[in-house]
Amino acid sequence: MEGTASSFETSLTAVFEKLGIEYDTLKDWNCCGATSAHALDHKLYMSLNLRNLALAQNQGYEEVFAPCAACYHRLKSADLELSKNPDLAETLKSETGFGYRGTVKVRNVLDLLTNNVGLEHIEAAVKAPLSGMRIACYYGCLNTRIPRSDCFDDREYPMSMDRIVTALGGKVIDWSYKTECCGASLFMTAPAASAKLCGKILKDAEARDVNCIAVACPLCQNNLDAKQGEIRAEAGIPRAIPIVFITQLMGLAYGIDESRLQLASSIVPFDLKPAGVTT
Amino acid sequence: MSPETNVAAKGGGAASGSVAETDNTSLCYQCSRCSAGCPLAEEMDLLPHQVIHLLSLGLEDEVLRSNTMWMCAGCYTCATRCPNDIDITTVMDEARTKAIEKGIPCPNPDVLTFHKCFLRDLGRRGRIYELRMMAENNISKGKPFDNADLGRKMLLKGRLKILPPKSLRGFKRWMKGLWKR
Repeated sequence: MEGTASSFETSLTAVFEKLGIEYDTLKDWNCCGATSAHALDHKLYMSLNLRNLALAQNQGYEEVFAPCAACYHRLKSADLELSKNPDLAETLKSETGFGYRGTVKVRNVLDLLTNNVGLEHIEAAVKAPLSGMRIACYYGCLNTRIPRSDCFDDREYPMSMDRIVTALGGKVIDWSYKTECCGASLFMTAPAASAKLCGKILKDAEARDVNCIAVACPLCQNNLDAKQGEIRAEAGIPRAIPIVFITQLMGLAYGIDESRLQLASSIVPFDLKPAGVTT
Repeated sequence: MSPETNVAAKGGGAASGSVAETDNTSLCYQCSRCSAGCPLAEEMDLLPHQVIHLLSLGLEDEVLRSNTMWMCAGCYTCATRCPNDIDITTVMDEARTKAIEKGIPCPNPDVLTFHKCFLRDLGRRGRIYELRMMAENNISKGKPFDNADLGRKMLLKGRLKILPPKSLRGFKRWMKGLWKR
């Protein structure tokens, strides 16, 4: 969030300010281990996430908000497993020094915006509606697919982001790839395989004549944006498609300055501004 | 078996017992929904439903020698759709762990190299220093200039930090107790 997805962080912070959402940053948080920890060592992944959950609990929080979809998935999965498996929780407590009573609720950005902030509040803050913009909402995998857990939205046909975009005045399109995988860490480890998946996603969006694809995951944004030129050449996609964080779109509709939205930090340029925005 | 007992039956990874024991693979009736929905199926030498079948039959080594779990992106489509609630994505995690334990060579070494570089970097500070992690990953896989152009663009766009993140106090020692590889 502070590095490759810094535009997610800065736009999120600006939008939260606008909506009057107060939050603290968890002190001493550690990286959740992303794919690498759970891919190789279950106990390591559980310990890394137990540490963050225990820190949140000990610092007096009832909820932890994880904007990154991978962090969210790891935290919520670990929370679920610790509550279902007290023996494991006990073993890990003695091995890691972190005890967790299961009191922290894990939330992601779509959940928080639709269920806490509310669509009415999101709509009321709009200054420059995204009218005329056709937007494909891309949820990816990890925001909704957590096995055996209650999900804040439909796992395979989520609508929370579509509802946010509609509240901003944008035109959402229905498409086939809203929850298909972009390849996640295969972007680094098996780039050809990841490029094929991203090609399919971009091709479907392009065929539906969208202005941009909205995302709520740093890795989705990176994978669809960073090497889009090569992916488009390979898949025969004639037009570039900007990949924007949902919070950047919100900021645009709220008239927040580019210095905080950082739309220019994407590799694929995004210069389409809806009518009424003069900055 | 209910979903609850299924999770509770998991002993925390594949370190103890076989992969099949750590999840309820025997509940599989081979409907193949996992393979039908798998976005990476075409890259795999064994399809997800074949992996589950082999594990149920006790033919674990066949699975551990495949490239399937190394090409799995961890998208959880299979686990979401399984009518018997088998967490196939986690089975893939367990298969990777087991293959490493048994010293079975990874058919896609770049995958393993990346994860090791990532975890090594994480173990230094508790947070990832992306620039160094990527450079080390390139050196470890013997392709020093891989993604160099992209790296340059990301630096210019301010998306790669030049300086490392602050170290968390005591984290390095804490993680050493958990991860020795």
